[in-house]
Amino acid sequence: MATAIEKCVHCGFCLAACPTYSLLGEEMDSPRGRIYLMKNVLEERLEAQDAQPYIDRCLGCMACVPACPSGVEYGDLLVSYRGAQEESRRRPPLDALARKLVIEALPYPKRFRLAAQTGAIGRVISDALPAAFASMLNLLPEKLPPRLPLPPVLPAQGERRGVVALLPGCVQQVLAPAINYAAAQVLAANGIEVHSPPDAGCCGSILLHIGAEREAQKIARRNFTVFPRDIDAIITTAAGCGSGINDYELLFKGEPDAESATAFADRVMDFGAYLAELGLLAPAGFKSERRVAYQDACHLLHAQGIQSQPRTLLRQIPNLRLLSIADAGMCCGSAGTYNIDQPDIAAALGRRKVESILAAEPDLVASGNIGCITQLRQQLALLGNPLPVMHIAELLWRAYQGDR
Amino acid sequence: MNRAFIAALESIYPADRLLTREVELLPYESDALTAFSAVPGAVVLPVNEAEIIDTVRLCHEQAVPFVARGSGTSLSGGSLPIPDGLTIGLNRLNRIKKLDPEQRIAVVEPGVINLAITEAAQPYGLYYAPDPSSQSICTIGGNIAFNSGGAHCLKYGMTSNHVLGMKVVLADGALTQFGGESIEGVGIGPDLIGLFVGSEGLFGIALEITVRLMPQPELYRTVLAAYDDLGRAGDAVSMVVASGLLPGAMEIMDRLAIKAAEASVQAGYPDAEALLIVELEGEAPQVEAEFDQLRGIIDESGAFEVRVANDEEERTRIWKGRKGAFSAVGRLSPDYIVQDGVVPRSRLGEALVEISALKEKYQLEVANVFHAGDGNLHPLILYDGREDGALEKAEALAGEILALCIRLGGSITGEHGIGMEKRDYLPAMFSEEEIDIMQALRLAIDPKEIANRGKMFPGGEAPALAQHGMHPLERAGVISRE
Amino acid sequence: MTVSAPASVAELQALVRDSERIHAIGNGSKTALHSGLNGATHADLTKLSGIIEYQPAEYTVTVRAGTPVRELSAALREQGQYLPCDPLLPESATIGGTVAGNLSGSRRYRYGGVRDFILGAAVVDGLGRAFRVGGKVVKNSAGFDLSKFLVGSLGAYAIMTELTFKVFPDVPRFRSLAFDYERLEDALAAIYFINQNIFELDALDLKPLENSWQLLTRLAGFDETLPQRLERFSAAVMSHTSLLKIAELDDSVTLWDPLADLRGAHLVKVALSPKQVPDFDRRITAAQRRYGVGGNVAWVATENLSQVDDALQACSLTGLCLRGAVESAVIGAPVENVLASRVKQVLDPHGKLV
Ligand SMILES: Cc1cc2nc3c(=O)[nH]c(=O)nc-3n(C[C@H](O)[C@H](O)[C@H](O)COP(=O)(O)OP(=O)(O)OC[C@H]3O[C@@H](n4cnc5c(N)ncnc54)[C@H](O)[C@@H]3O)c2cc1C
Ligand code: SF4
Ligand code: SF4
Repeated sequence: MATAIEKCVHCGFCLAACPTYSLLGEEMDSPRGRIYLMKNVLEERLEAQDAQPYIDRCLGCMACVPACPSGVEYGDLLVSYRGAQEESRRRPPLDALARKLVIEALPYPKRFRLAAQTGAIGRVISDALPAAFASMLNLLPEKLPPRLPLPPVLPAQGERRGVVALLPGCVQQVLAPAINYAAAQVLAANGIEVHSPPDAGCCGSILLHIGAEREAQKIARRNFTVFPRDIDAIITTAAGCGSGINDYELLFKGEPDAESATAFADRVMDFGAYLAELGLLAPAGFKSERRVAYQDACHLLHAQGIQSQPRTLLRQIPNLRLLSIADAGMCCGSAGTYNIDQPDIAAALGRRKVESILAAEPDLVASGNIGCITQLRQQLALLGNPLPVMHIAELLWRAYQGDR
Repeated sequence: MNRAFIAALESIYPADRLLTREVELLPYESDALTAFSAVPGAVVLPVNEAEIIDTVRLCHEQAVPFVARGSGTSLSGGSLPIPDGLTIGLNRLNRIKKLDPEQRIAVVEPGVINLAITEAAQPYGLYYAPDPSSQSICTIGGNIAFNSGGAHCLKYGMTSNHVLGMKVVLADGALTQFGGESIEGVGIGPDLIGLFVGSEGLFGIALEITVRLMPQPELYRTVLAAYDDLGRAGDAVSMVVASGLLPGAMEIMDRLAIKAAEASVQAGYPDAEALLIVELEGEAPQVEAEFDQLRGIIDESGAFEVRVANDEEERTRIWKGRKGAFSAVGRLSPDYIVQDGVVPRSRLGEALVEISALKEKYQLEVANVFHAGDGNLHPLILYDGREDGALEKAEALAGEILALCIRLGGSITGEHGIGMEKRDYLPAMFSEEEIDIMQALRLAIDPKEIANRGKMFPGGEAPALAQHGMHPLERAGVISRE
Repeated sequence: MTVSAPASVAELQALVRDSERIHAIGNGSKTALHSGLNGATHADLTKLSGIIEYQPAEYTVTVRAGTPVRELSAALREQGQYLPCDPLLPESATIGGTVAGNLSGSRRYRYGGVRDFILGAAVVDGLGRAFRVGGKVVKNSAGFDLSKFLVGSLGAYAIMTELTFKVFPDVPRFRSLAFDYERLEDALAAIYFINQNIFELDALDLKPLENSWQLLTRLAGFDETLPQRLERFSAAVMSHTSLLKIAELDDSVTLWDPLADLRGAHLVKVALSPKQVPDFDRRITAAQRRYGVGGNVAWVATENLSQVDDALQACSLTGLCLRGAVESAVIGAPVENVLASRVKQVLDPHGKLV
């Protein structure tokens, strides 16, 4: 933690990249300011609870990391700091309740399904609930989509070019089972055999994000042994999972199973990055031109440096015109549970993002992350705009099926 | 800060734009020169001109010192707060009010980021020329205070040469305007723009600035030449100058700076003692012809490897390493001081030899990055603030470098300003009478010395150097550094 | 009128101390700047002349203020360099007068004006103090930059004795093209087109002909590239603007002397922006005029100065009268400024310098 703080030379280069600084315009809500606050808390010049609101407002979008020439590992700093502070932290009862709900429900598809269904009922009375709950309920669809189970092994079509397993994830399984379904189909169409181990589950990132380290470890461990050895990669379609798993080294530091954790992390790859590396077998594509805006998920772009790969895939789709949007690197405000913790800022960022997307006049929007997709849909709905938003896997699957 | 003053501020600012709690003030206590820090009494975040004017008038009335702050990237302590004074954060005044591509001008608020002007002008084939390495975040207001420049200022000059008009509130609250949309600037009457730009925030606050835009060159030709000797890179620069070519930029980095840049952006720089970057820009046919000439010179200059950027991506990569070099040094050393001396170009070699002797003498590492075209050196002195006396040693070395620049007939600052850091060296550059005259000028504009009090002029109460050494938690064994 | 020609800085200091009102004068090439000041002692600076230091490798030159522009230009030319701010009246002016009046010719278009090339100065102020301002190296940001302040100061704040400039290598190969337009608006539209394009002109002037407007353009560069550049440039201008005709002209010093064709008792310089040209121009159609630097400077020759004064007032513009006998050289909208008066208060509290 101290290294990251020491490495910060206070040059301010990260300020321009930070969504909260651009929105709020004050030093405390910038990466440099947050690092400085953390430093002062560690040096006991400042009370942790005074600094907390500013740390809480951090999206964890990691836009500041590639912007920093000095190599400050802001992500590591934030995770360690949040972890360290969590233990001594007292939360107001309602916040604590929301948090408990997140910890207890989100990582477990069955429980989350249940909670989500009651949530749908809850929406009716959401106005009467505290903001934290209301925003959470707003995220839920009217009706949960039906399950779309995948076979344990989906065979490759044509010549076999690879074997992978799918990391099922947590929330996404319930809210948008179509994503993993489409991903599996696209992979198969590309000559890749797709395994879906029945016991695989949540990677724990969402818990890590809110500083619940111990719970995160517990959840994560379950995945270490359930995947077959002889596969090329474990594929994730959720940006947050991919980047969170990158932090396993930190999360499991000093734990007995640290090695299994990194070994597991090394095998995980983002869906788009994997496919782009292997080379896409050109799909049928669209009958008429489709203008597509690609929305960079922070956890792909900033946390994993995945920028060109999804674009390469999209450009290979016949009749698809890839548009560029202003401030592409700015977070849409979804950022894990941010929507739940900081509804106002999340909404403001979401509105900005939607505005810059609409300025490019797309026919549809693609993204590599469920969080972004949900956020964009919600913001578009507020504007009454029916612009479709989908996962890049879903878009590809459409292209393979031939324009529908 | 007294209660009445705060109360008066409350009548100008809503609560969320008047910061007074410790947690809100601490992040403002330093700019990019962290060796100094001072906690302001309050920070205000105006969103329009009227609020700034009211604030300055209030400060003048009540004799409360203030400092304007853009993005806080000053390397000389320019936006260091005045202890218990007021910091006026201008970053929210970030609107480009007018962009007229036909006349090639833009009218901007002071908090507009340098690069944002270029981004707005790009669709019209125009750009804002001064390019400090910090251009992605520094503000026009800060650029004005220091007459900031960058790698590409050899041909078209620094900030001062690109400002055509300004609206200003002087430190005593007087409002004034000069220049306009003509490329002549003020045109008739003394050039007040030239006087205000570079005044380090001591005259008042720039409220609105008209800048000129330049057409984007049709073609860039960027050459990267590697040398096994720093002196040889310097000689190459003299050869280019002697040939009659006028490149848009000529930059040199030494081994340590190369290492830092490499660690930061993996620019793929060759392993060398010195790298020279020369960039030609302009109309394609002319640039191609100049480039042939340049290639001949570089080939003769003893470079062991020469690379030419073949596309915009390669060019960007070459520049990214150079532009991030300062902060990249943070990867090599926990602390560093950036110096900003100028020597006559023909004495660059001499200066470098002396700097390396000083390095030996002080047993400190120094990385060199410089705008070779105009003799502007940026030695970065690396030290470890956790070691007792290290900062003092680094400061002493920095002082010797400045003395060297003056001895060679140069200046103690090319673009970062005097600020807090170099104020004690001002007398080495100017006579007592000259300093007295500048001081009298300052007093004529700011009788109560409230604008950026304590900066630029020698003397006055020096703020304590920032506390370094081990974190208390580190001492207690709670945290550790790898 | 007393005229005194100090031969050293010390003599100038003494002269300032001993005079009640003092007016600096170089070669007197801009008569209007001196005419209204008969009551003051005239300090003739032509004896403070000569190049002090010229280092071609540094791109810098330091000269005494009374040095003729002609002499400086010749020395620079010998080394393949030039002063890109292109002093007006290259045959008769002194370099000090060029700075005090802020007077550049057409080639100023390429790299900038006097303010962009001055680096430092030595001066004697109204209290007789001699001191330096600015620096001697191409880059310097220490202290307040009073050297730029001197540009256009008309000797009213301090008298310059020495000046340091940045200079550039020159490529003295030129080709000049003239584009004729029916209306002023069309010619201005061509300027706007050029402004947003990649062409790097050496100069760009605009002048009225009998029934049309002529845009004078000049390219500088290597012999081998000029034909191709000229070709591309003329093709682009032809296809994007509605012109009457195009012609290549013999490039000459006279062609690019903005004052060459201007006849009249008075000559006035006005700094304006291209978009202010139409409104100003329609008020002074009786005068001879040329717009330099892409429409950013107006040169007006007239017998009827008050008409030009009225036009300037109406457009909120200020002019500087260079030729003829006048009460005050500055006409049109007043230039009084609080910041300038604070400087005056410090450098010349007794108001000696006029
Ligand atoms: C890594 C790094 C690289 C850098 N590279 C360069 C470089 O290449 N070239 C260069 O010239 N500089 C460079 N700098 C220095 C710095 O970025 C410049 O000095 C910049 O102009 C400061 O802008 P700012 O907005 O951060 O101003 P601040 O640091 O906030 O303020 C600087 C000064 O400006 C004053 N000020 C701010 N706004 C106004 C206003 N509206 N009116 C009047 N005064 C005002 C402040 O009071 C202060 O004195 C670099 C800095 C860093 C950290
Ligand atoms: S860019 Fe890096 S070093 Fe600079 S202030 Fe931000 S975190 Fe610190
Ligand atoms: S992670 Fe995102 S929100 Fe947090 S400090 Fe970095 S850029 Fe700002």
